Amino acid sequence: MADIEKKEESSQSGYSRRQFLTGVGGIGVGAVLGGALLKSILLPEEVLAIPASEGYLLVDTRKCSGCTSCMLACALTHYGETNHSLARIQITQNPFGSFPNDINIDQCRQCPYPSCVDACPTGAMHADAKTGVRTVDEAKCIGCERCVNACPFTPSRVQWNPQEKHAQKCDLCVDTPFWDKEGGPDGVRACEAVCPMGAITFSSEIPMQTDGGYNVDLHEPIFDTLGFTGAGGVAGGH
Amino acid sequence: MERELLFDSATWLVWLAPVLGVLAAGLTKRRDPEVVGDKVLRHDSAAIIEHWTHGIGTAVLLVTGIALGVWFLPSLVGSGEPVRTMMDVHFAAVVVFLFGTFYYGANTLLAMKRFREHLPTKDAIDFTKRHYGLLLGFKKFTFPPEKKYFESEKMAYLLALGATSVIILTGLVKVAAHVIDLPAGLLAVATPAHDIATVAMLAFFLAHVFFAAVLPMSWPVLVSMFTGYVSLEHAKHEHKGWLEELGYEDKEDESQAVADESAA
Repeated sequence: MADIEKKEESSQSGYSRRQFLTGVGGIGVGAVLGGALLKSILLPEEVLAIPASEGYLLVDTRKCSGCTSCMLACALTHYGETNHSLARIQITQNPFGSFPNDINIDQCRQCPYPSCVDACPTGAMHADAKTGVRTVDEAKCIGCERCVNACPFTPSRVQWNPQEKHAQKCDLCVDTPFWDKEGGPDGVRACEAVCPMGAITFSSEIPMQTDGGYNVDLHEPIFDTLGFTGAGGVAGGH
Repeated sequence: MERELLFDSATWLVWLAPVLGVLAAGLTKRRDPEVVGDKVLRHDSAAIIEHWTHGIGTAVLLVTGIALGVWFLPSLVGSGEPVRTMMDVHFAAVVVFLFGTFYYGANTLLAMKRFREHLPTKDAIDFTKRHYGLLLGFKKFTFPPEKKYFESEKMAYLLALGATSVIILTGLVKVAAHVIDLPAGLLAVATPAHDIATVAMLAFFLAHVFFAAVLPMSWPVLVSMFTGYVSLEHAKHEHKGWLEELGYEDKEDESQAVADESAA
């Protein structure tokens, strides 16, 4: 029995199978440990270099009536169903607030330094190579939700899709399988197209990185002369 | 700042575990089965380490993997921190599982007879049906002298081998996605393949635990997975063919045969 084993282990090169495997294992252990050590000593901290998005959604919360058409259009074009839970833009209402702070439109800001992209462990959350739009590669998402927590805004502009089990966020309609229109920065956005109040618009310029930079005055000039509360300025930040 | 997943901060351990398993096998001196007094050595220390690292790793991987959501089944742990905790436990099990499996694989390469004794023969399908029928009480059949492993165990081995191979290959792809930018198409294939292999492994695991640990007739062999030995009596009863391979001659049988001849 032992002889058979020895015979099986021997090879023509003069090295036994055992010697070969021990060598492979030893070199492997050395390579992994050495590589890990070198990486920790020699390589600098990772630098996050992400191209800017080619487009941004701007809103005027004073014009929003809270009808949530934008949310339904978002869910419909992306998932084929009118479901508020699947919308990537969110309308939040404060029943105790007064105009213009009673309604917020919480849209993704396509941040120049996106924390969600930085937080993703698998590269699922990434900047689209063509448009720079921050978006999710669903096949790569492992469901850890670090991106959801990493978004600095409340509510998070990255949501957990409870049906398909992956993170989702506004992609400016780059990928809308249930819509026959061309989306993205060079096309049309469902929320913008459907809003009956004209409270959502699009800009290809990077807005000022302030609440006011994304919440702009979309009223006709005459509105500011009517004397409504909140006229002549924009609502609070969100 | 949120804590990192172990899959990100300690990815190197996933690469270390397999090569450590191979190195450990290279340095391990195996002991072949033998009759020792009234006991038979069935599993040496290496086999016990292989079995429990692979087995415990598999059990924890199945529990955490299923909790995280498998195939079309939803995640049982909801979202956020519980998911991250479950992933960290999954990571620890991955390291143990990979070490055990590669330790087994390398040990097997060093002595292919250990692999061959696991392979089914032409009687495998028929014997498997009869074996489980007998165990469950609806078939009657006297088996010819069995070798170290029953034909039914050899069939189950093939399922475990296939499921383990797919789980490791696709799992390593999923881990690599934490380090390098892999094509989404590759992950779109690897993830469901990983999940389907998990279902196959679950089927094997449940059957294995039932037939190798729950059923009373399997307890002597279960004990041998801790002590290494089965009793000679058990081996004579269940694995006569194996004892013959080990060169054991049953003196009781011989004296009985002599007595029968003289009586005749």
